[in-house]
Amino acid sequence: MDEEKQVSRRGFLSRTIWAIGGLITAGFGIPAIAYIIGPALQRDAAQNLIRLGAASKVELGIPTLFKVTVQRKTGWIVNEEELSIYVRTDDGRNFTAMSNVCTHLGCRVRWVADRKEFFCPCHNGVFDKDGNVISGPPPRPLNRYEVKVENGQLSIVGG
Amino acid sequence: MTRVANWLDERLAWRRVWEAIFLRRVPKVNWFYTLGSATLFVALNQIVTGILLTIYYVPTPDHAYDSVQYITTEVPAGWLIRGLHHWGASALIVLVVLHMLRVILGGAYKYPREITWMTGVVLLIVSLGFGFTGYLLPWDQKAYWATTVGTRIAGTAPVIGDSMLRILRGGEDLTAVTLARFFGVHVWILPVALLTLIGIHLYLVIRIGISAVPKRKE
Ligand code: HEM
Ligand code: FES
Repeated sequence: MDEEKQVSRRGFLSRTIWAIGGLITAGFGIPAIAYIIGPALQRDAAQNLIRLGAASKVELGIPTLFKVTVQRKTGWIVNEEELSIYVRTDDGRNFTAMSNVCTHLGCRVRWVADRKEFFCPCHNGVFDKDGNVISGPPPRPLNRYEVKVENGQLSIVGG
Repeated sequence: MTRVANWLDERLAWRRVWEAIFLRRVPKVNWFYTLGSATLFVALNQIVTGILLTIYYVPTPDHAYDSVQYITTEVPAGWLIRGLHHWGASALIVLVVLHMLRVILGGAYKYPREITWMTGVVLLIVSLGFGFTGYLLPWDQKAYWATTVGTRIAGTAPVIGDSMLRILRGGEDLTAVTLARFFGVHVWILPVALLTLIGIHLYLVIRIGISAVPKRKE
């Protein structure tokens, strides 16, 4: 016992037991946390092409509504979901695609042809032809999709 | 740290509880005396992993199989959690039986430990009940037919056989009703029974103290 730090048999065993207990707790705890929060971390990674239809359907300068059904997987359940997309072009070559979901609280906007604006009936949100907010509560422009044109067929990327 | 510990001890006397549980005197025994603790560890594993499984598992015929597949193939560490529960179930039965053998061979069931033994017998039945009800839950072919056979075995009992089969299945056939009641028994009734019985069992082990290894000349 002349040494300062004499480790007793009892102290050593006690510490070993605590260490093993800690390892077991971590061995359960870490996978458990990953398991619980896992699905919350998954973003909708579905970056596949969604086909809308013929590009010729879009009249110059007028946002045209395309409706497509996509399959969306939530957990183990696959749902059919209808997407509505406004597509607009000025020259027939460059297209912009916008979601019709209002950025305020998620109602559906519609194009009002004689006023040349998108209108959201829920709280009177108004967007211009490019989806920028003109008035009302919506905080952001309408969501855009990346557009691909192939052999005169329009597709958007994402889901 | 010690101040908080002292403050708590003054009110809860937790040190006495701690000493009674972990610093009690035991006779010099052998490794077979750890089988009860090993069983307890696996039981705790079943509880933790079982609770985690219920976060995704859905006990209806149209979702049970798919939700289990989702757990094993898509949820992070889901394969691990399910694997632990799956293999732990078998390990629990093996350990319970080995633990019981040690108690039989050491004569540890005798006075004054009869009630420890009796709660042990019910714990064995509860463990088997967990195995029987849990086996149906994945709702795959093996689960379905194993339970068809298992419930029909109950049906062969004289006189009460037919009613037992109907009570187990919740009707004539193996249906959504069967799956739902097996789930309810597996996650509510049996766990409550298990925890209550383990509580009494361990209280008695600590209260009475464990038996010594029998001597050659007695
Ligand atoms: C889930 C099931 C069970 C758990 C968690 C469990 C747990 C334990 C623990 C931790 C001990 C003290 C350490 C030891 O002696 O190994 C013990 C002792 C004992 N167990 Fe169990 N046990 C279970 C099932 C059973 C069964 C099926 C029986 C017999 C039918 C049984 C009969 C006893 C007896 C008589 C003792 C006292 C032994 C002695 O004092 O030497 N137990 N149990
Ligand atoms: S939801 Fe569109 S304005 Fe409120």
